Amino acid sequence: MASLHLTIVAPFQDYGFMRRALVACFALSIGSGPIGVLLLLRRMSLVGDALSHAVLPGAAVGFLVAGLSLWGMTTGGFVAGLIVAMLAGAVSRNTALREDASFAGFYLASLALGVLLVSTHGSNIDLLHILFGTILAVDNTALYLVGGIASVSTLVLLAIYRPLVLECFDPGFLRAVGGRGSIYHLIFLVLVVLNLVAGFQALGTLMAVGLMMLPAAASRFWANEVWTMALVAIAVGFLSGFLGLVASYRFGLPSGPAIVLAASLFYVASILVGRRNGLLRQHWPARHLAA
Amino acid sequence: MNRLVGVLVALSWLAAAAPAFASDLKVVASFTVLADMVKQVGGNSVDVRSLVGPNGDPHAYEPTPQDAAALSRADLIFVSGLGLEGWMDRLISASGTKGTIVVATQGIRTRDMEEDGKLITDPHAWNSAANGVIFAQNITAALVKADPRHAANYEANGAKYEDELRGLDAWARAEVAQVSAAKRKIITSHDAFGYLGAAYGIEFHAPVGFSTDFEPSAAGVAGLIDQIRREKIKAVFLENSNDPRLIEQIAAATGAKLGGTLYAEALSEPDGPASTYAKMFRYNIETLVAGMRAN
Amino acid sequence: MAAPAIMLENLTVAYDRHPALRHICGCFEPGSLTAIVGPNGAGKSTLLKAVVGLLDPAEGCVRCASADRRRDLAYLPQQAEIDRSFPISVMDTVAAGAWRDIGVLGGIASGMRRRIVDALSAVGLDGFERRSVGSLSAGQFQRVLFARMLLQSAPIILLDEPFTAIDARTTADLLALVQRWHGEARTVVAVLHDIEQVRQYFPQTLLLARKLIAWGLTGEVLTSANLRVMRRMSESWDEDAELCARAAV
Repeated sequence: MASLHLTIVAPFQDYGFMRRALVACFALSIGSGPIGVLLLLRRMSLVGDALSHAVLPGAAVGFLVAGLSLWGMTTGGFVAGLIVAMLAGAVSRNTALREDASFAGFYLASLALGVLLVSTHGSNIDLLHILFGTILAVDNTALYLVGGIASVSTLVLLAIYRPLVLECFDPGFLRAVGGRGSIYHLIFLVLVVLNLVAGFQALGTLMAVGLMMLPAAASRFWANEVWTMALVAIAVGFLSGFLGLVASYRFGLPSGPAIVLAASLFYVASILVGRRNGLLRQHWPARHLAA
Repeated sequence: MNRLVGVLVALSWLAAAAPAFASDLKVVASFTVLADMVKQVGGNSVDVRSLVGPNGDPHAYEPTPQDAAALSRADLIFVSGLGLEGWMDRLISASGTKGTIVVATQGIRTRDMEEDGKLITDPHAWNSAANGVIFAQNITAALVKADPRHAANYEANGAKYEDELRGLDAWARAEVAQVSAAKRKIITSHDAFGYLGAAYGIEFHAPVGFSTDFEPSAAGVAGLIDQIRREKIKAVFLENSNDPRLIEQIAAATGAKLGGTLYAEALSEPDGPASTYAKMFRYNIETLVAGMRAN
Repeated sequence: MAAPAIMLENLTVAYDRHPALRHICGCFEPGSLTAIVGPNGAGKSTLLKAVVGLLDPAEGCVRCASADRRRDLAYLPQQAEIDRSFPISVMDTVAAGAWRDIGVLGGIASGMRRRIVDALSAVGLDGFERRSVGSLSAGQFQRVLFARMLLQSAPIILLDEPFTAIDARTTADLLALVQRWHGEARTVVAVLHDIEQVRQYFPQTLLLARKLIAWGLTGEVLTSANLRVMRRMSESWDEDAELCARAAV
């Protein structure tokens, strides 16, 4: 019992950076979990990945203009992500190109521009180190930012929950009854970008997408409504953050990859033993209901 | 008529001067510290280009086509060696250069460092001014051999530069000696000061491993915080090619002071505090000593 | 006589310049119960979508008597167009029918819950509120969509193949519901394949094969001659037609 306490509680008692990292993980999970679920249900899982790379040149410009300023880089990343999201959305609505293809096109251009900016402008300082944060370096300002974004994201999602879900499920019906689906889609894309910017401040882009999509994918095996899936995704995200940090502390692993690997373990476990369509459940079905 | 003569004289002077320019020794150095040393010894008769720019990381560099072109035209190529410029071998062979390659760390007594549990040779030899003298000697010898016409010039410059560096070495020892031995401890985000620490008796600790390419673990950060608390080190330094936010976190957790920026592997821009190797060394020692006094 | 519920004026709808519907004129009278019949690819779904406003006419227009077409129209898309594996409860699916009453922010109030339970009861799905849509059969899912239309309580109801791939029992129950709507003087239009079903339950028929073949009382429209014309049209659709002379005017 004492050793369990030593492993699980003590590091968070003893070190402020562990507590801040844990709170950042929690905030990220609250913001990103539901967004990931909706991306998954809209069959846009890889759009998160694309957008996370699209953020790069904006953050680079922010860094070149404002230096190592949280706000400069966040604003830059947000604007760049938004531009790519809007352009890709506009192209897929007005041309024959599907959304995933137009996202791929714009994010690749954006990523190339980002690498170009990073390697040719100003000093050759290792900008990537600064662009790809580590959760152990989250300070109070970054924590406020991540927490603020999680709060805004949650409130907006609650406000547009019904039309957004309806727009995923039966877009024809929503349009027929006069709901302007594209407005909700647009608001949703803004939220995706916001959460990715929060995540990349704390975890770096790869890790941010991991904490967005893996818990969402796992939640599909446990819940059968959008909001319950969102809750499961939040819980999985938080547990992954906690276990990842403990593993990083206990075994000296890099914290970002440890957290995302923990989320992957939850994902694999869900595939195997998930209550809904998990592989083991398909082989040994639960007893059916009487009626 | 007089005007015409004047023009002709000017033209003939230009014609005489032009070949002198063209015969300048074309030298490429891998990074800014080395480039500055070559400049100090070579003076006006060499044309030096540094591949990695100011504030750049010589471990990880993305070469441009101009770099390859500069190498292919170079008469002399200076590298620091000891595994510092891993990216350079391929670039040199790709450029097809005929230039002579000079390893500036020839004859230095190397130190071993641990990286990923393996012992490797520490490449950051220049951070001790005594080693800087050896760099200068190697550079002088290479320039004399490549361009005997200006040998006297190089030898004079080299001797003067060696004296300056020896003076810096003695000055650094005296400065550090003013800090009591128990306080000679430093935290910094990069292990580039192994030679400096060994030469002047300063202990360096770092949260991140040997190179700049790793993501830190919670265990590493926690261990360092414990160490700072245990050993009461207040001198925490940012290093100019790494993520400073992590260091700020550790400093905040322990009440340590951020001593300022150290220049470990690259010079600053010309208007910065470390625009030459000598200025960089002096600046680093001053900053370190000021930091250690607070311990 | 009251103004027609829906009037089609020279309605032409095209996909990538290939017309799926050509120059349709006519009207659905208020309180009428009309079947749309035609071969595959005749433009039946296209016609409904144009009326709902999901497709823009290439030419001509759809006029609607009501001021707010979106409030007064209830539309049932083909089942294939909906992702039935989507994680949503029966309750939330039906509630979407009252989307405007619930609004963007609201939850489901107890009055609304009552209406949903009643609508589910009316389609024979008592106690299904908490079930997930993914656990329903095709017939049960169609009943849920009819319950959603009950909540919309619109005066004009458009059904796109409501009984395709649906079991007989459900078809009978839902046909009874259609009859009830007709009795309540709602205007109902349904795309159907079963000619016998049309003859039995639908007083009006619109026979379509990209253009209008006949529109009127079912007995007068579904003549063997008309059905023959319809079949012949479907065999001779020319994908490389010249530019329509009428459209050029």
